[in-house]
Amino acid sequence: MTQRCLVEPDVDFVKQIVGLGGETLKKCFQCATCSVVCPISPDNKPFPRKEMMAASWGLKDRLVKNGDIWLCHQCGDCSTLCPRGARPGDVLSAVRSYAISEYALSKRIGEAVNNPKKLHILLGIPTALFAVLAFITVFCGGTMSSIFHAIGLEWSHGGHDGVIAHADFISTWFVDLVFVPLALWVIINFLLGLKRFIVDIHENAVLEGKTDKEDLNIKKMIQALIKVIPAILRHDKFSQCSENKDREISHMMVLYSFIGLFVVTNIFFFVLYVFHIPGPYSQLNPVKWLANISGIFLVIGGGLMIKSRLSKTDQTTVYKDWYLLGLVLGLGITGLLSEMTRMAGLAGVTYGVYLIHLVLVFNLFAFLPYSKLAHVVYRTVALTYAEYGNRK
Amino acid sequence: MDKKYGVFICTGCGIGDALIMDELCEVPEEEGFPVKTHPVLCSKEGVDLIKKDISDDGVNTLIIAGCSRRINYDIFKFDGCIVDRVNLREQVVWTHPRSEYPALTEDQKDDEEHFDSLQMMAEDYLKMSMAKVEKIDLPEPFLLESITKKILVIGGGITGISAALDASLAGYSVTIVEKESSLGGFASKVRKQIPVCEPYDDLIPPVIESMIQRVEDDSNITVKTGTLVARIAGQPGEFTVTLKKPGETVPFDVPFPLPDEMKVDENGKDLDVEKLQERYLEYNKGKEDILTLDPDGELFGAVILAAGWRPDELESGVASHLGYGTNPDVVTNVQFEKIAKEGKIVRPSDGKEAKSVVFVQSPGKSDDDSDFSYTGSVTSLVALKQAKYVCEDYEDGKAYVIYQHMRTPGLSENFYKGLQQTDGIFLTKGEVVNVSTGGGSLLVEADNTLLGEQIQIKADMVVLASGMVPVTADDPVVNLAYRQGPGFRDNKLFDDYADSNFICFPYETQRTGIYAAGTIRRGMTMEESIEDASGAALKAIQCVESVNRGVAVHPRSGDMTFPDFFFQRCTQCKRCTEECPFGALDDDEKGTPKPNPTRCRRCGTCMGACPERIIGFADYNVDSVGSMVKAIGVPSEDDYEEPPMRILCLLCENDAYPALDITGLNRLNYSADVRFIPVRCLGSVNVIWIKDALAQGMDGVFLMGCKHGDDYQCHFVKGSELAEIRMQKIGEALSSLALEEERVAQYEVAIDDYDKIPQIINKFAEVIEGLGPNPFKGF
Repeated sequence: MTQRCLVEPDVDFVKQIVGLGGETLKKCFQCATCSVVCPISPDNKPFPRKEMMAASWGLKDRLVKNGDIWLCHQCGDCSTLCPRGARPGDVLSAVRSYAISEYALSKRIGEAVNNPKKLHILLGIPTALFAVLAFITVFCGGTMSSIFHAIGLEWSHGGHDGVIAHADFISTWFVDLVFVPLALWVIINFLLGLKRFIVDIHENAVLEGKTDKEDLNIKKMIQALIKVIPAILRHDKFSQCSENKDREISHMMVLYSFIGLFVVTNIFFFVLYVFHIPGPYSQLNPVKWLANISGIFLVIGGGLMIKSRLSKTDQTTVYKDWYLLGLVLGLGITGLLSEMTRMAGLAGVTYGVYLIHLVLVFNLFAFLPYSKLAHVVYRTVALTYAEYGNRK
Repeated sequence: MDKKYGVFICTGCGIGDALIMDELCEVPEEEGFPVKTHPVLCSKEGVDLIKKDISDDGVNTLIIAGCSRRINYDIFKFDGCIVDRVNLREQVVWTHPRSEYPALTEDQKDDEEHFDSLQMMAEDYLKMSMAKVEKIDLPEPFLLESITKKILVIGGGITGISAALDASLAGYSVTIVEKESSLGGFASKVRKQIPVCEPYDDLIPPVIESMIQRVEDDSNITVKTGTLVARIAGQPGEFTVTLKKPGETVPFDVPFPLPDEMKVDENGKDLDVEKLQERYLEYNKGKEDILTLDPDGELFGAVILAAGWRPDELESGVASHLGYGTNPDVVTNVQFEKIAKEGKIVRPSDGKEAKSVVFVQSPGKSDDDSDFSYTGSVTSLVALKQAKYVCEDYEDGKAYVIYQHMRTPGLSENFYKGLQQTDGIFLTKGEVVNVSTGGGSLLVEADNTLLGEQIQIKADMVVLASGMVPVTADDPVVNLAYRQGPGFRDNKLFDDYADSNFICFPYETQRTGIYAAGTIRRGMTMEESIEDASGAALKAIQCVESVNRGVAVHPRSGDMTFPDFFFQRCTQCKRCTEECPFGALDDDEKGTPKPNPTRCRRCGTCMGACPERIIGFADYNVDSVGSMVKAIGVPSEDDYEEPPMRILCLLCENDAYPALDITGLNRLNYSADVRFIPVRCLGSVNVIWIKDALAQGMDGVFLMGCKHGDDYQCHFVKGSELAEIRMQKIGEALSSLALEEERVAQYEVAIDDYDKIPQIINKFAEVIEGLGPNPFKGF
């Protein structure tokens, strides 16, 4: 016999979920239409009916620690067919936002990311930082050169004859000295969060009888991850959605463009610091092709996402969605624009656009563990766990 | 009245094509009844033809043969004339096509082998009608010498007040009697109430205050608080009502009939009449007899019973596992409402704030998932309402509703939707199995919830849904000075709710002129009670107005006839007094019935019951129906080599007759050997008709009427049940005559059973065929 479980609703949690776009959560009357129509819900203990119950009762632990909330791809089938307008898809999305801030280090940053009133800080800090760095690059080049020569390194990565290089505006050293530690911080942040996350979702799965595994086996988890990744890349789950089928294409475009840009950045990092060949690189270079195609995909994908959100007035779109979509589209546009204006020889314009681009990249990196984009990590892990735990 | 007859046969709707009209017209003509035919009798020309005969020739007794009497009844209505309709369309030509029952060829006529079933049937029906109209009279209304149209409302709660206001608006004087010292009832004891108007999605302040104000401002309404009804004597239009203070004993307190155990002697033998009377008087010592009218009594025309409910007491054992009775913080919803009305919600045990309250809707721990007794949608809605109180009083208040059934019918679904939105209200289906104390709070344990198999919740208070028990469970309330007793009969069938026919006639009780409204009928919200009060007020008005015109109220609304007694031959057997479903008859100490015509519903149950056959109506009596039976031609072997069977069906007018009409509309076929005679109710069937039918050689008799039993459909409550009892007795009599019991049967049909009727008829006809002809045939 299982232990009688003490139920203690958290009214404050209910209010927060409402604030994160789950304002319909109390409308549920447990008919389970959502679980029936969900194309990807497992047969054993299907979601999102039980999640809706836990949400309306303010049972935080049952939701935040629940791997199932990440199995949902928010296709919207349940929300469209819900007879009471309880929009389970939106509620789960709000719960995911809440869970992201729960697992990230420093809740204050998390709150800032989800608060439109704090946007100026999120943009202001990197703007100021890069402005200072630009000032140093442009006006203190000599000093920096002598410092770098002293430790045996070449300061400048730009300055070919008459060619505009963004490195002349903000040194690549500065850029990488900002982003490499930032990336490390993001990775540590995620690792710490994931450590708790995996234990929690496993515990919850055992408690609710959603898994046939009793303990966590890292080796088997990695095997599961290898199985899951192709499915993610193919968007297997996404393609089962009927309500928002068009989102599959735009999501795929954005995902692949990020992967492409990640590859490009790493290659050029390697080229710069190992082969000491500074940019800008030739447009004939195949890596450059990949970069440009990815950039174009990012703009188109981001644009399509925004268009779809705007046209679907019945779908809840809250600040956290707009923040991320704005970031995606902004990244693509400023990236391409800075390249185009550079080639057009508009030095002033291209430097300005480049500054904005760096600010957006900073936002993307620094707040990755806090923004909706963190789903890239949590959903992947949750899908991996579902594969490992035989959730069917 | 000097009868001048006229027979009018319509040849439309296929009647003229199927029947040989010349031969049919000869039937009345031979008896000296003038006959006219018309192709469309219901047309203006057709009606003019009839009117001309009425005005020119003084025809006043009309036989109109054509469609069913249920059709064109307004067209074939002629003032001052007896009108009888012969149903040649639905019962003859539409149900017996010529393809099945061909007309005779010239050779076949008079060959003593062939006969024309269809023509025989039409001729029989004409003959039956001719026999009938000779025996009936034009009814004259029964008018009271003096009539009062004042309406008495028992109960000054929201229902009584609404009924009084509605009746007053319609121009009637009303008196409200309320046992408590002020008006308002439970409606004035609530903090907030379930909505009574759009958008029905949130609590509203109580509406009762403004209604009480309206009553006080209304000069048509008299209010008597601190008052009970000691007795209601007499009949609608002239009820003599004695009022008294609660607890008072007065000579006009109503006498009660002897309980069954007092009707027998020490050895369990029935007492004789004198002894019974002696015991009855002893039992009711100090009380005036029911037939004595209180000279100081107040007269009323009709009564609205709106006495309401009391909270269910949750008898011991039902909720002891929930701590009820032992833990002061486990209360009923009514007790919780009292706490809420007085201020913030606090625990009864220590006066501390109750911020976490669990509302329990079902006792749990039983094999089924039933709720507490007498609960329903109201208690579901009340749990939601009271849950909201907790969240209103405390920002961090938590209210849990654990239910097996959440009943929010109709627009109250909006209320559920609205209240569900409250952050602090938590709802789940579940079975509450235990409430225990620990650590200064209560621990509620529930199984099979939507949150999991077994959960527990910490609570400051637990509220149990106690149901609404109609006060008629404890007391007759109306205290009728009727021989059948002071309350309504059979209330046990309805868990003591005062009800006679829940769906079809909601306000009717089994006592004419007494209309029940509000929670005395079933658990109701205030909105439902207000609406119910309007219905009962309209019924009370219909009653006084019908009485004023000397016609029946219900269900034979407008019927001017009433039972007439030929007292010289009465044997004081009391059958009529006892069998009347509506207690319309009282009897004196000798047992002679005293009719109360305005209590009567004109079903004729008394006529069916009377062994002396001394009860009848102007247009419906033992003789008129008996003559119709005798008018049916019964062919014997003298007429044909193989004579057809003759079967009589006594057909209830209320549901069976319309159902048979629908059978006709659908052109379904059934045996041509059956002759139908409509009866007001199977309860009015006097067994003499059956005996007569069999005695004259008819081969079988069956009754077709409404379902009886606990879920009866009889429009007169008891009629079909009484008929069944009489049928059993006649069965015994038949076997003594060496006739098979199977020759007499009774069938139950509902109004939508038109498709089953042919099977019923044909099957009975087959049984009779199997038994062979009645041995008395031809005697």
